[in-house]
Amino acid sequence: MTHPDSDVGEFAVATHGLSKRYGRKLALDEVELRVPEGSVYVLVGVNGAGKSTLFKTLMNLERPDTGAAEVFGLDTGGSGPEVRAQIGYVPERQEAPYRYMSCARLLRHAAAFYPAWDHAYADHLARALGVPPEQRVGGLSKGETRRLQLVMALAHRPALLLFDEPMDGLDPLVRRRALALLAEHLADAPTTVVISTHHVQELESLADHVGVLRGGRLVAQMSRDDLQRTVRTYELEAPEGWEVPKDLHATALRRSSTGRDMRCTLVGEERDITGRLLAAGARVRGSSTLALEDAALAFLPEEPS
Amino acid sequence: MTIAPTIQTAERSVHGVRPQMPRPRDVLREHLHAIGYALRVPMLIAVALGVLATIILAIQIGSGDLDYNFLTQPSVLPGVIGALLPVAMWLREERFGPGFLWTLPVDRRRHALLKTLAGWLWLMGGVTLFVLSLLVLALVSGGGVLPVQTMTTLTDALRLSGPVNPAALQTVQWTPGALIWAVPFGSATALYLLASAIVLGIRYLLRWAIVLVFLLPIATGATHLISRLSGNEWLADMPARALVQLVEGRFGLEALLTLRTWSLDNRATLTTGERIHVWSSIPDLADWRTAALLWTVAGLLALWAAASRHREERRA
Repeated sequence: MTHPDSDVGEFAVATHGLSKRYGRKLALDEVELRVPEGSVYVLVGVNGAGKSTLFKTLMNLERPDTGAAEVFGLDTGGSGPEVRAQIGYVPERQEAPYRYMSCARLLRHAAAFYPAWDHAYADHLARALGVPPEQRVGGLSKGETRRLQLVMALAHRPALLLFDEPMDGLDPLVRRRALALLAEHLADAPTTVVISTHHVQELESLADHVGVLRGGRLVAQMSRDDLQRTVRTYELEAPEGWEVPKDLHATALRRSSTGRDMRCTLVGEERDITGRLLAAGARVRGSSTLALEDAALAFLPEEPS
Repeated sequence: MTIAPTIQTAERSVHGVRPQMPRPRDVLREHLHAIGYALRVPMLIAVALGVLATIILAIQIGSGDLDYNFLTQPSVLPGVIGALLPVAMWLREERFGPGFLWTLPVDRRRHALLKTLAGWLWLMGGVTLFVLSLLVLALVSGGGVLPVQTMTTLTDALRLSGPVNPAALQTVQWTPGALIWAVPFGSATALYLLASAIVLGIRYLLRWAIVLVFLLPIATGATHLISRLSGNEWLADMPARALVQLVEGRFGLEALLTLRTWSLDNRATLTTGERIHVWSSIPDLADWRTAALLWTVAGLLALWAAASRHREERRA
C-alpha cells in the first residue's frame, strides 16, 4: 500500500524500488519511500523490519542491491558527501565515537565537518539535554550518549533529520525535553524529519506522515489525516461463521469476534467499506477512528496469543 | 491516496541548493588536532623518556664516556613507530561498517587519505625532533654528524664461514653522505604507509595474521613436494629465500631501516683466535634510496587500494 509518485522533486526523500538483502534475509523489498519536504515522517515497524537499513542506505553507508534513493534530489550513491552534509543522523546504536574525548571535544570535532555548525545552538542543546561537557565520552551512560548524539545531529541545523529510535535509552523526563527541543527546532527552521520509533504516541503532536515497514516492505505510507480517516474499527453484526469478504482481506487488518458480534479494523474509505460489508451480509453497527499509534500498528501482524 | 507534500512552499527548500561542504584543509586540520589529542598520553610518555635519556647522556658526555656519531641504527625506532602509529590511529575507529567517520560529509576514500596524511605529518614532526636530538647529541658529545667510519672488510665474503686469515682483511674509510639523515624519515614513511594500508584495508587483522603464520610452512611444504617430484632442487627453499630477500635483501626491509648495517656487520674469528667485527660490504646509500623508493611506492599503492575499500558506494 505504498504510493509512488512521479513528482519526485517535491520530496525531501524518495526511494525507487530499493531492495537490500543480507544473505538470505531480505532487509528491504522494493521500498518506494516518499517523504514530503518539511514533514515529520514517522516510520513504524517491528525490530528487523528494515528501518535501520533504510536509514543507512539514505546515508550511503549501505549499497542497495537494486533501486536508488534520492535526498533533496541528490542521488545518495552518487553524491554521498553532499547528501550527508544535509542530514543530521542519530543511529540506532547508542555508541558515541572516540571514547577518549570529552563531550565538548567531540562536539568541536564534529563541528569541524559542518561549516553550518552553530556553536551557540550546540551549547544550548547540550545544556538543555544535560550533556556534561567535560565528561569523557567513554564514561557516558546510554542515555547520556543518546543525548550527545542528538546534539551532534541538530547543531548544524541540517535540512533533514534521520532519527533511528532516538528516544531509546532516554528516561521519560529527558524524552519529554528532547521532544520539546525537536519541536522548537522544527519551529525555528522548517526541517524534514524521518524518525523511526516504537513509541508513535510520543510523536502524535509532530507526525505529518506515517510509513509502516513490515519484513522489508513498505506496507503503508500516507499522511496522518489519511491514516486516521481510512483505518477504522468497524463493529459488525454478522451471521455465525461469517468471514470478512475476500476482497477486503487484503486490507482486513485485525478482527475479534464474540458470537454474532465482530470487531475488525479495516482500511479504506468508510463509505466504500461499509457498502461492501453490507453487500457481504454483515450489518455495520458503527465505526470509530483509532489513535495514530493504533492505526499504524494495525498494519503490523498481530502478536501470537 | 497519493500523498502530497505538506509544505510545498517550504521556507527552506533545499532542492538544487548545493550544501556547504567542509574544505579538505579544514578536515586535515581537524584530524591533526584529533590525532594529537588521541595520542597525547603516549606522546607525554615519549617526551618523559626523551628527557630521561637526555639526562643520562648528558651525564655520560660530562664524564667523557660518550663519543656519539650519527649513525643509522637508531632509525629503527622511527620505523617501528611509523608501523605502530596507524594501529593506534585506526583501531579506535569503526573502520568497516557505519562508523562515525564515514557518516561525516566527506568523500570516504579522501577522508581516509586525509586522516592518514594527518598521522604522517605528526610522524614526520616526531622524527624531525628525534633526528635533531641525535644530531645535537653527536655535536655536543664531540662526535660527528657525518662521521667517517673505519671499517674492516673482507676481500671475499664467503670466507666468513670459517676462521679468517688476517691477510684477507682490509680497512676502508666510509663517509656517509647527508642522505643518511633522510634514513629515519624514509623508513618511518614507508612503514607508516604499509601499516596504514594493512590496518585500513584488512577487516580481520588477527585472522590474516594467523593465515600468514601458517602460509610459510604450507608454501615450504608445497615447494618441497614439487621440487621432489620435478627434481628441481632450486624450488625447495624458494619461500624461505623469498622471505629472506624481503627482509635482508639488497632492497629489503633491513636495507630500508638500517642501510643493512645489521646484516653486513658480522662477528668473525681470525685464524689467530681473535674475534673481531668484519663488514661483509660497505653500506650503500644508493641502495637505501632505491629501497626507500620501492617500499614507499608499494606503500602508496597499497594505501590507495586500502582506502578504495571505503570509497563511496557509487552505482553505475
